[in-house]
Amino acid sequence: MADRDEIAEAYADWRLRCNANERLRRMLRGWDRVVHLVATDTGDRFTVVVCDQLLAELAAGADAVADLIVTATSEDFADLFWGDLNPSEKYMSGEITLAGAQEDVMRLDAMSMVAFLDQ
Amino acid sequence: MKDRDCEVLIVGAGYAGLSAARALTRAGVDVLVAEARDRVGGRVWTRSTTTGALIDHGGQWIGPGQEQLQKLADEYGADTFPTFTTGEGVEWRDGNRATYAGLVPTSDPAAAADGIEAIFELDLASAEVPLEAPWEAPDARARDEQTLGSWLATSVASDGARSIITAAVKSIFGTEPGELSLLFTLFYLHSGGGLMNLARTTNGAQERRFTAGAQQCALAMAEELGDRVLLSSPVVGVDHGPDGVVATVAVPRDGDPEPLRLRARRAIVAMPPALSVRLHWSPPLPGRRDQMSMRAPMGSVTKIHAVYDRPFWRDDGLNGQVVSDEGAVRVTFDDSPPDASHGIILGFVAGSECRALDGCTPSERAGAAIADLVRYFGPQAASPLEVVEQHWPAEPFTRGGPVTVFSPGLLTDFGPALRDPVGPVHWAGTETATVWCGYIDGALSSGVRAAGEVLAALGR
Repeated sequence: MADRDEIAEAYADWRLRCNANERLRRMLRGWDRVVHLVATDTGDRFTVVVCDQLLAELAAGADAVADLIVTATSEDFADLFWGDLNPSEKYMSGEITLAGAQEDVMRLDAMSMVAFLDQ
Repeated sequence: MKDRDCEVLIVGAGYAGLSAARALTRAGVDVLVAEARDRVGGRVWTRSTTTGALIDHGGQWIGPGQEQLQKLADEYGADTFPTFTTGEGVEWRDGNRATYAGLVPTSDPAAAADGIEAIFELDLASAEVPLEAPWEAPDARARDEQTLGSWLATSVASDGARSIITAAVKSIFGTEPGELSLLFTLFYLHSGGGLMNLARTTNGAQERRFTAGAQQCALAMAEELGDRVLLSSPVVGVDHGPDGVVATVAVPRDGDPEPLRLRARRAIVAMPPALSVRLHWSPPLPGRRDQMSMRAPMGSVTKIHAVYDRPFWRDDGLNGQVVSDEGAVRVTFDDSPPDASHGIILGFVAGSECRALDGCTPSERAGAAIADLVRYFGPQAASPLEVVEQHWPAEPFTRGGPVTVFSPGLLTDFGPALRDPVGPVHWAGTETATVWCGYIDGALSSGVRAAGEVLAALGR
């Protein structure tokens, strides 16, 4: 189990790497979205805003209306952000779920895979 | 000569024809369905092997968003179960074997990332292609003059990424990327929710299988239609005009040497375009319809099922999926029954590999496939209980598979001819579908669409 601070720390690291990755910047072209993260075990909720091809800082809570909702265990969120977990594997096994419009799901699916592969 | 009359004749008892027949029958229309084979289902065909394993020779999966098929499955109580995906896949590239987790092989992470970005670009471009009229897409003509192969050559830098995409594309279409119009590819991807969606098992087009086989719903529809379905009755010619259609059925049919003519006010031809033009049409079909069909070949695929006493690869933490750049079989799935009472690997021999083995005997093809499976899964793969193959190009009433592909120029110069009726003749088949084109779901919706056209024409 990972607490909020651990997830926030891992996310900060992931965000730096993502925002410095040219391929990911290309893939985020024209895709400004609000993404909610829901940790299934702790119930913690977070909001990630994607704007102008950049990921914003992680915000606690999930109040604004989301385009996409990602659910996973707190541990999986932390591992994913540290780059230790292949998100595609967990999505395939159903342990990570993505809810939203089909194109948004595809975008997040692809960009998270690239973030893992391109580290 | 024996004559039978009906209001609407349907040629072909695959999912499209049966769906049309069911919709019309439920609307009170008197139909007959003429099917060339001795079974219904078309490119969907479930069989029990000699060791008692149930396999699908043709279409077999159902995934999220396939609403027509799901509705039908619910209606007939056809149970489904998840495709086995637990564990790692096997990647074979440049003579080396590796395992990987997730959607794409990762032995070369940069190539994998290139591959994902390319799939992503294709999926984004595909979303711009209007499903009802792909020829109105942005840059439609320029894209219809290109092939997916030429796009890959100019847009994807790494060999590894091209190899991953090529393996997926060959299994989906049964052709090499160089044979596919880029516009058609984009349309097809949009129609099925994107390449990422088509390539996925969980959360994608290969997510679940039918416990009793994918033919179950076709058999249920045929049962509902009863003696309106005429098996072993290949239509060989269609006379058509303002008064309706007269179809001639080849002789001899099963146990009945007398020629049969089927007369109807309207017809729905539920066959792939390339096969529909093999009927003798009188008067000849309009040039545009015929020329469209010349540009719509069937893909080339052989499905091979290697049946083992148990799914031994699972012991090694493998999920039975392979992506390879070498051999006859380059993509596989774990096709074992839900209770794992047998272990079954399904292998696709697609595109050039399928053509290269066309002159071989089934046992020679099986031998080539087993040699590949040994490379992927180890020596235990050398001793299957049996190997069952379906070489679709040799099937007399299908002549290829899994789907029809559109050559460059078809969509932009001939696109509307896919669905435009010719006098009293309407067209169904998954090739005519706008959603899930090429899939069972698309076949079902095409049948309903054609039935709607006929009802309107009949003033019903």
